Amino acid sequence: MTTTFARDARLPVAAAEHAVAREFAAIAADLERLKLLIGEAGDTLAASFAVIGEAVPRLAVDAHVGHAVAAAVTALQFQDMATQLTQHAQKRLAVLQDALKALSDEDTDPLLATTRMQPVRQAGMGAGSIDLF
Amino acid sequence: MHSILAVDDSASMRQMVAFTLKGAGYHVIEAADGQEAYEKAKGTHVDLVLTDQNMPGMDGITLVKSLRALPSYGRTPILILTTESSDEMKAKGRAAGATGWLVKPFDPSKLLEVIGKVIS
Repeated sequence: MTTTFARDARLPVAAAEHAVAREFAAIAADLERLKLLIGEAGDTLAASFAVIGEAVPRLAVDAHVGHAVAAAVTALQFQDMATQLTQHAQKRLAVLQDALKALSDEDTDPLLATTRMQPVRQAGMGAGSIDLF
Repeated sequence: MHSILAVDDSASMRQMVAFTLKGAGYHVIEAADGQEAYEKAKGTHVDLVLTDQNMPGMDGITLVKSLRALPSYGRTPILILTTESSDEMKAKGRAAGATGWLVKPFDPSKLLEVIGKVIS
């Protein structure tokens, strides 16, 4: 399947730049939409959890319920991590958009250097590591 | 009852932390960023601080440095709970005076185990 970008890549430079800018804008819009969806889902889950949480002390006498609640507490932290990831992706995209505009030389943009520091490296929702100093 | 200052700009994270800690019998004070946490910590002494790193305004490591500069927080356990997992960032946290570095997401029982260990 030939993508719009692949077709446009054969066009002259100015047209190609326009095509890349258009793709960047589409990705930026998708990321913003994703952030809103994550936020909405996270808020709804958190509100539901708050209601369920009030009943947990009565329910947690059952070990299965206790384990399920603990797993839910870990899983419900996805919103914070996903939001940070999308914000990071948005920053990197903005840097690329600026770079495209400037069509700069090989000077490294300091902002580009800082955005290379990935704030979230976890690929799953298993509990993270613990270091006591 | 031990009191814990839970600091995170994410409301859902504060909710999960508070739920876990309150369920274990701790008194939880919440703050949404480092500056708010610093003001609350100065106003009342807490037995442990659990803070996020990446927050608007004052970040977690700056909060650790600021609290360590206060005589009343020289020996108070301060744990950083963050998505950041690089050795470079952990070293900065340690140098700032943090007691430990926990990577999100946390497992409730492990978090309580660590807190029980350092708060005593």
